[in-house]
Amino acid sequence: MTRPLYPLAAVVGQKELVKALILCAINPSIGGVLIRGEKGTAKSTAARGLSEILPPVYPLADRAFKAGYFGSAGPFERLGPEALNPTGFTDARPESNRPLETAPAPFLTLPLNATEDRVAGGLDLGEALATGCRRLAPGLLAQAHQGILYVDEVNLLDDHLVDLILDAASSGVNRLEREGLSLSHPARFVLVGTMNPEEGELRPQFLDRFGLSVKVESESDLDLRVELMLRREAFDASPVAFRNIYQAQTQKLRQKLLAAAERLPHLMIPISIRKLASHLAKEHNVAGHRADLIIERAAAALAAWNGMEQVTEIEVIEVAPLVLAHRQREAVPPKPQEQPDRSKSSEQQQQDDQPEPSQSPDSSDQQDRQNQPDTKEQPESSQPENTDSSQDSQPQSKVNAPADSAETSQAPAQATEIAAETVFEVGPTFGVVPIRSPFDRIRRKGSGRRSRSRIIQKQGRYVKSGPDRGSGDIAIDATIRAAAPYQLNREKRPGLTVAIEPPDFREAIREKKMGNYLFFTVDASGSMGARGRMAASKGAVMSLLLDAYQKRDQVALITFRRDQAQVNLPLTSSIDLAGKLLAEMPVGGRTPLSSALTVTSREVRNALSKNPLARPIVIIITDGRGNVSLEENVNPVKEALRLAEVMTREKRVKYIVVDTEEPGAVTFGLAQKLADKLLAVYLKTENLKSKTLVDLVKNDSFFS
Amino acid sequence: MKNKTAVYPFAAIVGQDKLKLALILNIINPTLSGVLIRGEKGTAKSTAVRALADILPEIEVIRGDPFGLSPDEAEIYEDLSIALGRPVTSPPVFERRKVRVVELPVGATEDRVVGSMDLERALKTGEKRVEPGLLAQAHRGILYVDEVNLLDDHVVDVLLDSAAMGVNTLEREGVSFSHPASFTLVGTMNPEEGELRPQLLDRFGLCVNVGGLTDLDSRVEVLERRARFDSDPEGLALEFAGRSQQIADSIQRARQLIGQVEIDRDSLYKIARFSLELGVDGHRGDIIILKAAKTLAAYRNRTKVEASDIQEAAELALPHRVRRQPLMEISDNLQSVRRAGARAEGTGA
Repeated sequence: MTRPLYPLAAVVGQKELVKALILCAINPSIGGVLIRGEKGTAKSTAARGLSEILPPVYPLADRAFKAGYFGSAGPFERLGPEALNPTGFTDARPESNRPLETAPAPFLTLPLNATEDRVAGGLDLGEALATGCRRLAPGLLAQAHQGILYVDEVNLLDDHLVDLILDAASSGVNRLEREGLSLSHPARFVLVGTMNPEEGELRPQFLDRFGLSVKVESESDLDLRVELMLRREAFDASPVAFRNIYQAQTQKLRQKLLAAAERLPHLMIPISIRKLASHLAKEHNVAGHRADLIIERAAAALAAWNGMEQVTEIEVIEVAPLVLAHRQREAVPPKPQEQPDRSKSSEQQQQDDQPEPSQSPDSSDQQDRQNQPDTKEQPESSQPENTDSSQDSQPQSKVNAPADSAETSQAPAQATEIAAETVFEVGPTFGVVPIRSPFDRIRRKGSGRRSRSRIIQKQGRYVKSGPDRGSGDIAIDATIRAAAPYQLNREKRPGLTVAIEPPDFREAIREKKMGNYLFFTVDASGSMGARGRMAASKGAVMSLLLDAYQKRDQVALITFRRDQAQVNLPLTSSIDLAGKLLAEMPVGGRTPLSSALTVTSREVRNALSKNPLARPIVIIITDGRGNVSLEENVNPVKEALRLAEVMTREKRVKYIVVDTEEPGAVTFGLAQKLADKLLAVYLKTENLKSKTLVDLVKNDSFFS
Repeated sequence: MKNKTAVYPFAAIVGQDKLKLALILNIINPTLSGVLIRGEKGTAKSTAVRALADILPEIEVIRGDPFGLSPDEAEIYEDLSIALGRPVTSPPVFERRKVRVVELPVGATEDRVVGSMDLERALKTGEKRVEPGLLAQAHRGILYVDEVNLLDDHVVDVLLDSAAMGVNTLEREGVSFSHPASFTLVGTMNPEEGELRPQLLDRFGLCVNVGGLTDLDSRVEVLERRARFDSDPEGLALEFAGRSQQIADSIQRARQLIGQVEIDRDSLYKIARFSLELGVDGHRGDIIILKAAKTLAAYRNRTKVEASDIQEAAELALPHRVRRQPLMEISDNLQSVRRAGARAEGTGA
């Protein structure tokens, strides 16, 4: 399938993206480009366009692969047939005296539902059936050699495939050990991955292995936008005519790339440049040494592209953002021993206008500052897009630094007087106790990392095959592959060409992309604003969200305050968004706990109807002091407890109640009661921290 | 579709003008990449999509080809047929048939959607053959997903892949195969049951929110027509045959006219300002407004895009693209589209 390509030269704007792609094309061992950004910003157009300016390669048809012709016709890397280890091929007879044909550099798209055998390569089925010979059929990694492997939405790809691909991309070699065959072959390709952060982040260990990253945004310049529309229309109307207009420019790019690749090995890299690269990496708090190396490689590629003899500081500075952006670590986590000092200096910090995200709410032995709310707005909370519609009508004062919210805890009397809604800072985050759904006999296996389970029905993504365990879900290809080598010796039944015997049966192992569903039901009523509880609670929820991110969960955020609960965030994989919303969640008003429970159970029911096998976990963060009932003249607390009892009828849901009530002389213990009714795990905010609960969680019956 | 008498006539749908318009625009110009229909239960969403059969134009296809390849795609016909193990007629014979509406059931398994290895063939003859899936059938047609928001995530991924490239690539279960799959994606959803992933949302060119009719007379009209349809579908079809034919004719005319529609530079700036005002992600919004405006002009039998076309196109193309925070309903966005339109107009003059 070939469609006319949109020329790279005709891409409007997106300079950084084009630069990153070209650098990787000059030196594929930079390790690929990760493109992060909005939808519809020429991500894939540019990547496809790049394939056009790559030098031609030997066609990697099946035949060539078999024969061991496995190199580039261009100057990138001259791999003779001898460079191959042909062990995997039964008829590896390099006919080195025959002239080799060339073909355009391959551009391969990895579909998200690809299976491992097609990515890495596997037994050649047709060949095995026909001749009974075991031979490897090349996978996508082999086909992409000297070309481009494009993975759209790489953050949604199955982890084991990401692993495989990144391995090959960084080493330039694909090692295959399958079905009794073993082979390693060169697989040097430009890896281009795209992702939309709204869909959830890529895991840090994968992030680090992409050489460069580019953030793309839509152009804000009107002229460029119009130009873009015009070009797109012209292209859609007549691709061929459009391509002709840019042909000269495309040809120029192609030659420049070729020249750069030829120049690259002869480039001088002064020692000072290496030092600068290391210095930059260190400065930006980057883990490991990969960044240093890649800065150096990218700078060299850029110098080659610019036609220079020697790498200078200018190139290093220019490529550094591409290399460092996705490797830079977040702020260092707070150190516990710092707490006393910090609270002493918190006043100082405020005067310095230094927001301190690592401020602890525990360190609250300061005088009351609540009546002097800082008018300065936090940069991250000043985005109007995140104020919800009900808020718009309300005057809203934002309490600024965490020091403030920590200090408000010293004013219990005044806390209840918070009339206007207040946005509290997110308290410090911490590692949380493991939360899992109970293990059951149901095979469902999500690609997440929270609850182990397998999929047994013929649904979900077929990832690999295993020996037959009688599920009835036979992996046809794997079964035939297993049977193939014996075909010549087996007696066939009439009408059938393939004789399959029970030992050949292979079963499909499927994964269902689901992770766990976590529903956060957060109390945002006025009573939560007291004594800095909200900051601590937000810290707790944030910790759970971070955990959810690592476990690849989907989360929903439901808050309740004033008259009713609302779904702030329907079930989504975008933990980022949940975190952002949480940070800006206003607090104030009464506590409609009953409404919260009904809204939550409705959301849970929706999720379950989508995925009946899911085991949602509902985390309710509240002090339990409901004071708004659904029906009139009903005791709100009693109503909530009754609802809670009903909610336990859905056996697939597990509840966790996080009690935010401050320990003190007068406690109501209402959250505890709620937890009892819900058959929930009851935790105090401080108990969520992983350290304190290690022992409890080792007990498997904890959540069952 | 198979049983023509059972199709509710498109022209007999009461109200829901926007919905009808969005569907018609997509038939005229398949590069508009589909429409998302959001609304409560019982608001003629599915009826309208199924009724499309009434007004769909005919296209030229290769006879006996499961993909419905066009004469332009004849060069790949042979390769595809061989991969499928189908007989090849050479040279290919063409025939005309209506654009197809292929329905993707919510519970569809992935192998039915993208295709899979033909098991029977593999066992009988030892040959590796591909059995095409729904995406193959939907090429050059309409892929209709009812309750698209309830679709399994991995099926959504597949849809996104194909919708983005116009090609369905099969790399699984030992099969490597790709075939053209450019389809118009029509999805319906009830927002109460959850939202769509932003990525999928963006793939729909247009979006309409449908609600129940508020006008009493129209509601009664709906009831009457429905009753008529249930008791005498053929009679109703006959009554509206003329009007449906009219729509079909204007679609046909617009399909021919659309290549000649022009737009001036000022209007392009207006479109760009529109998207900027609203903070729409990416450039797809711009491109879709442009295409929709041109298509509208063609449908209205004009060869020049007017300001009203752009406003109307934006109202169809932007509601679901406005960067919205989760609480903000898509129908609310329409208001901001209008406001932005007013602003774009103001600064443009």
